[in-house]
Amino acid sequence: MSCQLIATEVSFAYERDKCVLNGVEATIQDGSVTGIVGPNGSGKSTFLRILAGLLHPDAGSVHLNDRALRSYSGRERARSIAFLPQSISPAFSLSVFEVVCLGRYPHSSAWGSLSAQDVAVASRALVQTQTDALRHRDFGSLSGGERQRVLLASILAQEPRLLLLDEPTSALDIHHQVEVMALLRHLCRDGYGIALVTHDLNLAARFCDRVVLLGATHCIVADGRPEDVLTGPLLSEAYGSTIRVGQHPFAPAPFVMATLPEGDGS
Amino acid sequence: MRPRMLGAVLLLCASVAMGFASLVIGTENIELGTVVQEWRAGRPVADSPALSVLFNQRLPRTLAALLGGAGLALAGGVFQALLRNPLATPYTLGIASAGAFGAWIAFILSDAGWFVSGVLGIPSVQVFAFLFAGADVLLVYMLAARKEHSSPAVLLLAGVTMGMLANSGIMLTRYLAAPDRLVAMDRWLMGGVDVLGYRPVWTLTLGVAPCALVLLAQAGKLDQFGFSGELAAGRGVNIKWLQILTFSVGSLMTAIIVSVIGPVGFIGLIVPHAVRALTGPRHYLLLALSLVAGGGFLCFCDIIARKILPGETPIGIVTTLIGGPFFLYLLMRRKFTDWDA
Ligand SMILES: Nc1ncnc2c1ncn2[C@@H]1O[C@H](COP(=O)(O)OP(=O)(O)O)[C@@H](O)[C@H]1O
Ligand SMILES: [Mg+2]
Repeated sequence: MSCQLIATEVSFAYERDKCVLNGVEATIQDGSVTGIVGPNGSGKSTFLRILAGLLHPDAGSVHLNDRALRSYSGRERARSIAFLPQSISPAFSLSVFEVVCLGRYPHSSAWGSLSAQDVAVASRALVQTQTDALRHRDFGSLSGGERQRVLLASILAQEPRLLLLDEPTSALDIHHQVEVMALLRHLCRDGYGIALVTHDLNLAARFCDRVVLLGATHCIVADGRPEDVLTGPLLSEAYGSTIRVGQHPFAPAPFVMATLPEGDGS
Repeated sequence: MRPRMLGAVLLLCASVAMGFASLVIGTENIELGTVVQEWRAGRPVADSPALSVLFNQRLPRTLAALLGGAGLALAGGVFQALLRNPLATPYTLGIASAGAFGAWIAFILSDAGWFVSGVLGIPSVQVFAFLFAGADVLLVYMLAARKEHSSPAVLLLAGVTMGMLANSGIMLTRYLAAPDRLVAMDRWLMGGVDVLGYRPVWTLTLGVAPCALVLLAQAGKLDQFGFSGELAAGRGVNIKWLQILTFSVGSLMTAIIVSVIGPVGFIGLIVPHAVRALTGPRHYLLLALSLVAGGGFLCFCDIIARKILPGETPIGIVTTLIGGPFFLYLLMRRKFTDWDA
């Protein structure tokens, strides 16, 4: 059975009269990677929180498999949708394996005791993300790339259908960025649906099937295939500055670059 | 897992041993042989000095220490998770100061002739301590919880401020009180489990047991919240509800304990810390063992208060004298990198 998360005409404001999202729409489908891009403060994280059911839209609706997301209980929702926030700050140290086991919460008993199946699923998630060797390490002692992969493992241990990831690559170096994105593509082939917020338009161009472009006005500027959305005019409209797009030198994807008004020599 | 379980069992045994020791050790030690003999012989409790001391003094006192210590230690572990702060105690939100302020008001009122004898046979000092502690908690909550999720930092600051206000209230009542009453009032501040009869024990039991069950049941959610609030919310933990529940139940339990045995310090801080060193940070073990170890620790302190120091030392002084240095030791030994996120 396919899994589909659809947001229709979603509007949201944290404080009255300060609209953060204005009639935003998106469809997150299993088996595809959707990138959510846009300038700082355009509401990308807020939109992801609404898709994850953490916030409820003031207007519009979010449906998971034709049922209002709000009508799901928290744990029921979490068995379909996993959400990875932009940053986390653990209050105490856990081992990598314990962190991954936390992902079993929507499936486990209230006491948090683990069944043999929980342990098996957690171990599989470690293998999937190639973090098995880190199993006994302290989570706090990991490098940024390792942390991100372990957090992905902990999300996978939740056994969701859809992954909503807020800037999963922003703290990583260029090599680890590509590694995490390749892992996400791999998961997508396995049938997961993925939505990720990113600032790296070239990464989005290379790895996403669809791109949702939010503008500084908190509306959707464009939604579609990367080569249709990541164009000079649309990006310039969304970011309110001149952005040029060419052909990637050695990959079949657009290549995006911002320019200064007086021209920066490029 | 194995060494942790072994440690847990040892801790349990130690606490049970403390409970027994607390029954027989005292100003007059009780011979277990005598007790069994006289019990077998069916002597009425009133006729047997040994039985009378055991049942009328030692048993209620031991039970009060077990229940009070258990509750305070559990509340400490819960508040450390709720406030995401390792130095949080059950008193961080000002409950102890507010309770003490209430108790002192009760002293003053009774001296002024407005004698309020108490409610349902519960002494007015206890009732006032509880009411003031409760009012403090409500105020702190109203100050902190105007947003969607109450931020731990705001909760903490509001609590500390309320505590300071209550402390200045104590100063004021001190200033107003008759000088010869100050001794009794100060004595209350130092805490004591030298309860008379079983009524305080019942109050503690009815207060601590249900609250403890509710708090223990939140262990899995506290694990999630401690790792990351937003991640937890994404996994279906209702963070706001978790905060309200642990905050109100933990406070209620603390307020009841403080009203009965006074603001006994340090247990809620050091017991969860010591236990965490043994069990790791997962809350189901941490909270359950804090409960056990807290009871044992307060019994231990009470034995020292009775026996090792001359006369009856107030138990609050003993817990601080033992707890303070022990906490410093834990601080030096532990790597605190995991907390300063
Ligand atoms: N918890 C919050 N309370 C109030 N305003 C917020 C909150 N989170 C974000 N905002 C505001 O909403 C707007 C959009 O934020 P966000 O969704 O984080 O943008 P992005 O992720 O695209 O950078 C910003 O103006 C931000 O200041
Ligand atoms: Mg963001």
